[in-house]
Amino acid sequence: MTPRARARDEGSLADELEQLEQIVRRLEADDTDLDAGLALFEEGVRRLRAARERLSQAELKVQTVLDSAGDELGLGDLDV
Amino acid sequence: MTAPILSALPISADDVWSVTQVTSAVKRLIERDLGAVWVRGEILQCKAWSSGHWYFTLRDARSQMRCCMWRAQAQKAGRPPVDGTEVYVLGTPGMWEEKGEFRLTVSLIIPTAAVGAQQQELERVKSVLQRDGLFDPTRKRPLPTHARCIAVVTSPDGAALRDIVIVVRRRWPCARIVVVGARVQGDGAEAELVRALGIVNRVDGVEVCIMGRGGGAREDLHAFNSEAVCRALAAVRVPTISAVGHETDVSLTDFVADVRAATPSAAAEAAVPDQRDVRRRVADLAARLANGLAQRTALAGERLERTGDRLTAAVTQKAERRRHRIDRLAAQLDALSPLRVLARGFAVPVAPDGRVLKRRADFAEGDGFTLRVADGSVPARVQEDA
Repeated sequence: MTPRARARDEGSLADELEQLEQIVRRLEADDTDLDAGLALFEEGVRRLRAARERLSQAELKVQTVLDSAGDELGLGDLDV
Repeated sequence: MTAPILSALPISADDVWSVTQVTSAVKRLIERDLGAVWVRGEILQCKAWSSGHWYFTLRDARSQMRCCMWRAQAQKAGRPPVDGTEVYVLGTPGMWEEKGEFRLTVSLIIPTAAVGAQQQELERVKSVLQRDGLFDPTRKRPLPTHARCIAVVTSPDGAALRDIVIVVRRRWPCARIVVVGARVQGDGAEAELVRALGIVNRVDGVEVCIMGRGGGAREDLHAFNSEAVCRALAAVRVPTISAVGHETDVSLTDFVADVRAATPSAAAEAAVPDQRDVRRRVADLAARLANGLAQRTALAGERLERTGDRLTAAVTQKAERRRHRIDRLAAQLDALSPLRVLARGFAVPVAPDGRVLKRRADFAEGDGFTLRVADGSVPARVQEDA
């Protein structure tokens, strides 16, 4: 994976859910002590919140490329 | 007239058909049983009338038939073919009653030479792309599971885009679609598709790319068999889905893309998950998280109990701090936590060993237990029976 691809993947919902899955699994395992458990729980809550935040956008955004001449693409909303 | 012929006449005049009755009956027979057919033949005497309609004869070694092509189709066909041109025509056999003539009403003419050349070009492109490994199954990339940004390369006012937007809006509204418009057929389509695919690589955050169009005549899908378009598709830096035409249409971009979808709607389904599934998974993880913590604290409680006598004040204090922390975190859990039930006024009786007391039999006279309420615990004892 290129560094760029990794950067993009960071913080994606898929990534968030995967991390959350691991946290839950570790929390469910018998060998965590209370302090570690609490830390895991705190992180889990944080990630849950982030995941819910992602899902909360209720309206699909549709954009179109208006200008591709410059370094940055010019995007505008499209009514479909 | 002679007598034997006269005697062959039917008795009743009702049994004699009019010319119109015969031609109508033949017309019905032909037009009911034969739909549109592809016919291969040679064009003869194509006459373009000032009305815009074309009339010509189509023949092979043994037979011939009259054909007409109405103005609307003739205009699209360009110039009338010269005598002797080998063609495929798409036409509907019918009856021209006024002249008592059987004829083919043609909607499309394609010179066989053009088809041959097109087929040759297709084979050539296929073989060079194959040689360069563009169809190689090992270069297929998996699609993202929760794409946030989907690039769509298609005609901005085509049905394909509408279908894709409808599906994504229903399944995964928390996403963003970036439409990179391109003509998908006719002159310049190839160049516009190549350019659009290049732009996809510059869209910030793009995770998957759908390229496609709705169904059409075979020659309308031509651009999707072009070598340049195939190579540009292969060069897209995110996984790609090709959705060209209807289920039965296959184009070379279908083989180059990471995933081939039968229709634009199917491409959208493949590109994004269903939000209901994802929400279910999040809810499940939330419940397991809360549960996991509850188990952990119960275990820690047991340990504290076992070493209770030897606990120093400092340890108690530490445990107290932990308890506060748990309470604070538990409050944060809000919707996902069973504590929310407590907030509505319910209480949970818990035995000193952490067991939840659920039945009458769990309470013995004089037993101490803890009543778990929304903001903490209350020590309690079972009173003498009334």
